[in-house]
Amino acid sequence: MKNFGKILVGLLLLGGLLWLADTSLRGYYLRLVVLVGVTSIIALGVNVINGYTNIFSLGFGGTMMVAAYTTALLTLPVSYKKAVLHLPSWLEGLQLAFPVAIIIAGLLAVVASVILLLPAFRLEGQYFILASMGVNIVMGNLAENLRGLTHGDMGLRNIPAYTNIWWAYGILVLVIFFIYRLMQSRYGRALRTIGKDQTLAAVMGINVVRYKILSFAVGSFITGIGAALWVHLVLTMNPKAFGLVYVFNVVAMLAIGGIGTISGTLLGVTILTVGAELFAPLQEGIILLGVRIPPVFGLVNVLTALLLIVIMIYRPRGLMGGREIWDVSGIRKK
Amino acid sequence: MDGLYIAQQLINALSYGSILALLAIGYTMIYGILGLINFAHGEIFMIGAFCAYLLLAFGGSPFLIGLLAALGGAVIVGMLIQRTVYAPCLKRNPEVLTVFIASFGASMGLRSLFTMIFGDSRRAFPTPDSLEGILITDSGLFLNVKDIWIFGIVLVLVLGIALFVRFSRTGMAMRAVAYDANAAELAGINSQRIVLYAFVLGSVLAGVAAVAYGMSFGVVTPSMGYLIGLNAFIAAVLGGIGNVPGAAVGGYIIGLGEIMFVALLPPQFSAVRPIFVWMLLFLILFVKPTGLFRPNIKIE
Repeated sequence: MKNFGKILVGLLLLGGLLWLADTSLRGYYLRLVVLVGVTSIIALGVNVINGYTNIFSLGFGGTMMVAAYTTALLTLPVSYKKAVLHLPSWLEGLQLAFPVAIIIAGLLAVVASVILLLPAFRLEGQYFILASMGVNIVMGNLAENLRGLTHGDMGLRNIPAYTNIWWAYGILVLVIFFIYRLMQSRYGRALRTIGKDQTLAAVMGINVVRYKILSFAVGSFITGIGAALWVHLVLTMNPKAFGLVYVFNVVAMLAIGGIGTISGTLLGVTILTVGAELFAPLQEGIILLGVRIPPVFGLVNVLTALLLIVIMIYRPRGLMGGREIWDVSGIRKK
Repeated sequence: MDGLYIAQQLINALSYGSILALLAIGYTMIYGILGLINFAHGEIFMIGAFCAYLLLAFGGSPFLIGLLAALGGAVIVGMLIQRTVYAPCLKRNPEVLTVFIASFGASMGLRSLFTMIFGDSRRAFPTPDSLEGILITDSGLFLNVKDIWIFGIVLVLVLGIALFVRFSRTGMAMRAVAYDANAAELAGINSQRIVLYAFVLGSVLAGVAAVAYGMSFGVVTPSMGYLIGLNAFIAAVLGGIGNVPGAAVGGYIIGLGEIMFVALLPPQFSAVRPIFVWMLLFLILFVKPTGLFRPNIKIE
């Protein structure tokens, strides 16, 4: 750990900034900062699968649904569960601590993603993308129809507000550190090799299927934890929460920032999350200079899509161009 | 659950199958030629439906003009997407994934744009009275007049396109580019123009499908292209990618299958209809990934 000093300084700096944000920012802005952190965790998990290993999967929406409903069911007040859901008695009376609930949520997300996507591993390219999309549709459909478990379209409310800035950024730092170390290890190099050329990887003696499953397990766990944090921040959950629009947004974040890098992912998440909040007032209709501007729903999505297309044409590898900030700026000694 | 019931369900599925068949041909041609799922095809279909809807509901124009507007709108949007998204993307960076993400963007952008303008509610699509009406056969089967029209027109269209792709010079060039674009270029085929033709043809069919959808379901919404578009792509896979008559047959099989799934199982299963289509997709891709008929792409 030759960079130990630098890392420590960085962490202390981040801690100070977070403390400043926590004490000085008011509700809305603080929530935005936390949302950026939580979304970063989600996107970094997706990036392990879609970026490093280059298995472009859109199935993470379904995985996130599993995690989000799991943590909700494990932490909702017992009275609320009795009132709106039909659960088996052991689950109805269960109320777990927040860290336990999100870890179980992450593990169930891994189980769901591996089971659902295992059959799709035989497929390649766009067929795989299409099949993975089916996972979202199937999970969304189940969430709508298993009313006793999910309250259907009406969604769940009263989810306890556990996620705060410390949980979000604490876990984010752990995730970044873990992914950074993972990518320098033998496992990470194997994943990257698979990402570059599957045949080459197989010829070199890498067990492609095993590593793909590993990549899915790691990525889904991180994304699942992120989704659980998201639920305890937003406090409601419904079958459409992680539907196509959400999936599209995460894909856009990765593609705009630069897929396959940590810094690109963080950049894309920040741009789109903050951008969406900036344009949100326009979307709901505001009074500007005395003129009432009618609400334009979907404006943020249109702008995201336009930005995404422009970036895909002029900077197909994203704003970071497939490099990490520390490679470009020379912070890290070679 | 007798033969009559099943026959009635089959008849009910005819227009749905026809719509899927038309869309599937669009997917199969573009996937065949560009090697790309045109994710925005469902939105081309949706915009065609809205063009017809606007003229018919607010312009009070004759039905035929509405149909032409749907075709025109779909073709303009199709060419626009090809020119402003796919062509520049492919020119600068031929990596499939980049173009796919861009096409995902085009799809979401167009759908959100229409949600922004028209809202997400369902709008009633006016079908002229001359096309309404029900025929009852001696055995007691009900036939919607508009369904007969849709099925008849689609059948003629599908046959026409199949013959066009099989025998005309342009059609042969299309198949050549789909099979091997480089070899086709060497043989003197302008593949860029062929790509544009494929988009135009696919969009025309999407426009027809849009009007058929409006007539048979009676509503249009900005999100109408999503699920039906995915189902149509699955139909194209089922028929063998690049194979035009195959895609049409695939469309009818998926359409009939979906309706039968709802008709033959207890009613609580009807809500999980989308799951059936995806199970079918997995089944196809496992048992026969090349589809039922010979695909017209180079399999490496």
